[in-house]
Amino acid sequence: MDWKKLFGFAPLPKPEFIKVYENAMERKIAGGKPVSELEFLVIDTETTGLDIKRDHVLSYGAVQVSHNRIRIASAREFYLRPKKRNREAIKVHGLVRERPYVSREQLIRSFLDDAQHKILVGHHLGFDLAMMERVGRSIGLRKIKNPVLDTFNLALRLDMGKFYDPQAVVSTDYSLDKLCERYAISPDDRHTAAGDALLAAQLLVKLLKAAEKKGIKTFADLMG
Amino acid sequence: MANVIVNRVIEFLKKYPPFSFLSPELLAQVAREVDLVYFEEGEFLFQKGEPAKSYFFVVKEGAIKLTDHFEGKEETVEICDEGDVFGVLALLGKRPYILNARADEHSLVMAVPVGVFEKILSENNKVSLYFASGFASGQVVVRSGLSQTQKVRTLFGRDRDTNENGLMLFSGQTSIQFSHPVIYCHTGNTVAEAVEKMSREKVGSIIIVDENKHPKGIITDKDLRNRLIARNLPYSTPVTKIMSRPVVTAKKDMEFSQVYLNMVKHRLHHLVFTEDGSSDSPLIGIISDHDILLSQGNSPAVLIKALQESQDIHELAKLRNQAEGMLKYFLENELAIEFIAGILTEINDTLIRRAIAMARARHEAVFPELRDLQFCFLALGSEGRGEQLLRTDLDNAIVYEDVADELKEKARNFMHLIARDVMDILFACDFHSCPAEMMANNPQWCQPLGQWKKYFSQWIREPDPQSLMMATIFFDFRAVSGKQALADALTQHVYEEINQGKVFLNFFAKNALLNPPPLGFFRNFMIEKSGKHAEKFDIKLRAMMPLADAARVLILSHQVVGINNTFKRYEKLAELEPNQAALYRDAGKAYEIFMRIRALEGLSTASSGRFIQPDSLGKLQRQLLKNAFFPIDEIQKILKVRFQLDYFGN
Repeated sequence: MDWKKLFGFAPLPKPEFIKVYENAMERKIAGGKPVSELEFLVIDTETTGLDIKRDHVLSYGAVQVSHNRIRIASAREFYLRPKKRNREAIKVHGLVRERPYVSREQLIRSFLDDAQHKILVGHHLGFDLAMMERVGRSIGLRKIKNPVLDTFNLALRLDMGKFYDPQAVVSTDYSLDKLCERYAISPDDRHTAAGDALLAAQLLVKLLKAAEKKGIKTFADLMG
Repeated sequence: MANVIVNRVIEFLKKYPPFSFLSPELLAQVAREVDLVYFEEGEFLFQKGEPAKSYFFVVKEGAIKLTDHFEGKEETVEICDEGDVFGVLALLGKRPYILNARADEHSLVMAVPVGVFEKILSENNKVSLYFASGFASGQVVVRSGLSQTQKVRTLFGRDRDTNENGLMLFSGQTSIQFSHPVIYCHTGNTVAEAVEKMSREKVGSIIIVDENKHPKGIITDKDLRNRLIARNLPYSTPVTKIMSRPVVTAKKDMEFSQVYLNMVKHRLHHLVFTEDGSSDSPLIGIISDHDILLSQGNSPAVLIKALQESQDIHELAKLRNQAEGMLKYFLENELAIEFIAGILTEINDTLIRRAIAMARARHEAVFPELRDLQFCFLALGSEGRGEQLLRTDLDNAIVYEDVADELKEKARNFMHLIARDVMDILFACDFHSCPAEMMANNPQWCQPLGQWKKYFSQWIREPDPQSLMMATIFFDFRAVSGKQALADALTQHVYEEINQGKVFLNFFAKNALLNPPPLGFFRNFMIEKSGKHAEKFDIKLRAMMPLADAARVLILSHQVVGINNTFKRYEKLAELEPNQAALYRDAGKAYEIFMRIRALEGLSTASSGRFIQPDSLGKLQRQLLKNAFFPIDEIQKILKVRFQLDYFGN
């Protein structure tokens, strides 16, 4: 007896685009693929707060990087209508203007379409992915299955090697702001999801070049 | 909907041509399609000979150098920095790259797909002109490019500033508005008949035409006064007897500024227009200086007239300051440099003539025996070439006729006093003293013809560096006031000497190569390395002198007399050597561009304009400047070959 079904708690049938995404992700990226041929989706979200259980995504920005090129044509910027306007977040992000909002489903659909076969990239990416999964849960997205690359970790690794001691790291030295400064990226449009995604993308292409010099030449090297 | 990322790209691109010419919609369309690519120092973007990619580039951050191979070595041709467009061969004809592009530092570059731009290229006039004129970097400007470049300038210039300063001198006035219908009578008429017509039509002048309506002469109120009434002639006198002739004629489709320049130069009160511009063609109109003055309150003609009539040194100074305002107006309105330089030279010459008259009046009484001493005031250097737009250093001299031994001392004193007074007046008018004292008030440069001949002979026969330096300044002498024949005698002497010692020209040509051409705005390369002008670009030394020096040598080698303007010299050279005509014309155009940029810089920084801060120039100006450098190298190659300088001792 399927109790959930009986009491009407059953999830809606999984939408087609999620199935397409999940199928696509069955195909893994070959470990020997050169870094210069990899395809990335750099994302960032702005949220009502830092609690992944209680806070919500306000906006989402993304841009693709492939063959070391940032593809402006693939730039995305979406806003979700906040359930409750959280005054604190509005102060930080300045999200006061009325936006052309999209639905959660539209957001997830676009994200999953773009994410197929890509390596997901972001600064402190884990948080953004957790928030995206939260947005997608009610639609039927169980897990984001892409390989992930955190620019925070990559920058650290380039400085300290693969086996650094996390205790020895002053994490504020590796904030997006600090890294942009170090890598001569002008910090425009900070605190908009798309603006931060573009910054992270610029950081990514620079880090990848630096990584290549340190012998990180393939997908396996990069993930290892 | 354009998002933050696309907007970021739009904000960047719209600052730079050709993107700045696009409508917001088109720009957004372009911005959405670009890729951002990062290159590390030393990395190639493309290499010579590679097939063109499907996109061209704009530097977002950093610097990209375009290089070529010379004798096995990679040499930098040009450096592109923020906002520079390059690799456009992809767009134009899809030929393989003719240069390498390599990151000179860590650089972020925008790749703009050709596809989205092709349509724009075919539809947007400005954008296609931009590319056609070789504004993009490394495009290797086709020789005929510069005149196109200028066309672009005017096109772009017009958009930028609709002018609001009340002068409205020539703006939009490209065609001439002459009096119509023109009042005339026939050669067979009497003065009485002519006057009757004049008074009926309320005009101050009347044209006399023959049976074919060809203008033969003109009678003005003044002629009636001086030639008829004062001489007690009857009213039945035929008009032909008192008319002024010949009349100066022009074609009706002549540019207004040219007409105007003509009138100012020749001190004409009237200019008559005929069908074909000659006096053997039917009359169609007349324009008087009065017509112009009425429509233009603040005009060069008024200024020159005021200078001519002034007796007071302070007033002269004031008038000369006014001329500066006019210069600014001319430059901002993109009037032809030939016109601007012509007017300014005329103003300066008038001032000098005025100063000489004042000095002479003051000292003549003390030297009664020298009352008839002939002398000629010579302008040297840029003033001698008639290209001095700003009141920079004075270079001038006086040549006077040789006198009997017993008068020598007196003549020297007299001339020196005049020179001293003239220079004082010029200093009062804010001209600057020449640091090397090449001025008439230096006794060395205030000499009789015999001594001048010796000077020139020495420079020509002993072409050491000092002589050559002198030659570059003194060979551009031009008679400003006084006895022209003295200057002519000197010119003739120069040519005789050169013909005897031909080797002089080789030395002179070698001297003209002392300043190699700048290749482009190499951020830290071309600008001065140290001293007061560190980080600035010396436009006089690096761009203007090489062209002026080359023109001088070439024109001397052709034995041309009487053409001093660098740009006119190139015009003449183009005429004399048809197979090099395009290059010479470009060189002349380039020189005009340098003059304009220097003058604007000087006006805006209240300096000589010689040292230019590359950052202070707009993108378009920088590109214009860059393009204008190209002929320098070519011209110098001609000198090298023609005077066999590679085999010529050091």
